[in-house]
Parts: sequence; structure tokens; C-alpha cells
Amino acid sequence: MGENSPMPLEIRLIIIAALVLLVVGAGFYWRITTGRAKRVADGTQIDLARLGATKNGKPVTEFGKKITFLQFSTEMCSQCRQTAHLLGQFEAQNPDVLHIEFDLTHRLDVAKKFNILQTPTTLVLDSNGRVTSRIGGAAKTQTIQDEIGHFQI
Amino acid sequence: MSKQVEQIDPRGPRFGASIINIFSIIIFFLALETSTVALAQSILAIVWVSFLWGTLFGNTKHPFGLLYKKVVRPRLSAPKELEDARPPRFAQLVGLFVTSIGFVLAALAVPYGIAIAAGALFAASTLQAYFGYCLGCQIYLGLRRVGVIRG
Repeated sequence: MGENSPMPLEIRLIIIAALVLLVVGAGFYWRITTGRAKRVADGTQIDLARLGATKNGKPVTEFGKKITFLQFSTEMCSQCRQTAHLLGQFEAQNPDVLHIEFDLTHRLDVAKKFNILQTPTTLVLDSNGRVTSRIGGAAKTQTIQDEIGHFQI
Repeated sequence: MSKQVEQIDPRGPRFGASIINIFSIIIFFLALETSTVALAQSILAIVWVSFLWGTLFGNTKHPFGLLYKKVVRPRLSAPKELEDARPPRFAQLVGLFVTSIGFVLAALAVPYGIAIAAGALFAASTLQAYFGYCLGCQIYLGLRRVGVIRG
């Protein structure tokens, strides 16, 4: 890049200010939008046996009485643990809630099937295992409360 | 998930990211000007070595990790919880890749190649240090799915 003409200091400072604003803006946007629920109305049905879902090392075949949180994680995901902890607390407080964590690290086929790009991604299922919404990113406490509220528990 | 993996204080990698954050904006500033681009490239080389170190030996054996452990952590309260050592190590690998891209662009005489890499590094380290963004959560699965990296 030896042929470039010198860049005035003011221009450089403006570029830096623009970069900082862009990145900080993106950061706030991400914080606001991540971990929120999006309605799913395409009637996707989850088959726990076919998925090979496990809980505490044992296969899970039954859905939660009213609501199931199916959380997809990977080994490289530090926020997955927070979300698992949070969902586990709701599960412990409420017998109608079931939380299942599924590791995608060695199951890219499942990631492709549900079109998952980020982790944690949590699918909210009704008592029949039909997907009603999808939470991308670390689920916010309020989001989980609202989802449980939809099932009038 | 039941495998025993190394657990670390999650604030360590974020401290490291805040140092990278400062380095990257300085490199970015220097790389915009022809007369200082060589200096920018030298500082980026130091950052590259730090990412290589972190990728090979993990964050806790990293100079910034040791600085955190010796100087910063004794002044803080105990961590609320520990985290898996693998996600921040993955972030080190991403840093190594981005920094390497800068050198490749510079070698190909792409204008502002070093600045582009430093800008990307600034973006990633800002999000990680101050917004709690986790590269392992956001891009690991996508990279695996397109086959860029293996498990």
C-alpha cells in the first residue's frame, strides 16, 4: 500500500469514530434482540425417540405435561450453560415444565434439519411435541416466563 | 457433556479481550496512514503470537491470562461460576485466523489490509469484552456446518 497518499488525521479520526459507533450499535442491537422468542406456526413436530434425546444419561420419550424446552447446545458454547441452568430452575419449580438439552457438536445432521446456526437455540414445544416458538441465543428470564404464561400454567 | 473438562474463571478471557480491544484500535489507527503502517504490522505480529499461544496452550497459560490471575483476580471477588475452557480457546483460534488474514492481505498488497483485520479484531473483541458476545456460541456451529472446521 506504499502508493497511497497520506490520510489526514481528521479523516482517520472520523473513520475510527464511525467504526466504534457501528460496533457499539451492533453490540446493543444484539443484546436487545438475542434470547427472544419467535412464534413458529409451521406445525413442526418433534420425535424425541428419533432425535435420540437424553436427560441425565437416560433416553427421554415423553414431553413435559404442558411445555417442553428443547435446548440445542455445543461444546464451544459458554452461554449454553447459563441457559441450561435457568431452564433447569423453571423445571424444578414447575412439574408441568420439562427441559431437555441436546448437544449438536457431533450431530450436525440435527443442526441442519432444524436449521440451527447459533447456540443455544431453544425450541418451545407444546404437550404434543409441536414446536410453538423458537428462542435464538441465551434465553432471557422474561422470555421463558412469557412462554410458560402462554400455556396458562 | 459428562466429560471432565477444564473449568476457568469467565472473566479471564474477557479481560484478555479488553487488552486485544485496545491493541486493535491502535493498530487500526496506525494502519490507515502509509508512514505508520509498518509499525501497525509489527504490533499485529505481537497480537498474532498471543493468539497462537492462546490457541495452542489455552487462555489460562496465556500472558494475559496469567496477568489476570496474578494482578486482577486477587482484587475481585470469587467468580459466581466457572465456565468451560473450550469456548474461549475457540475464540483465540478465530483471532489467529483474522490476524493471519491481515498478513495475507498485506502480502497481496491489498490497500488497508492490516486495517481491515484490525477493524474486525476490534469489532469481535468489543462484543466479547463489553457485551458478553461469545464467538463459540454464535459462529462455531455455522463454521462446522459449512465444513470450515471439524469437531
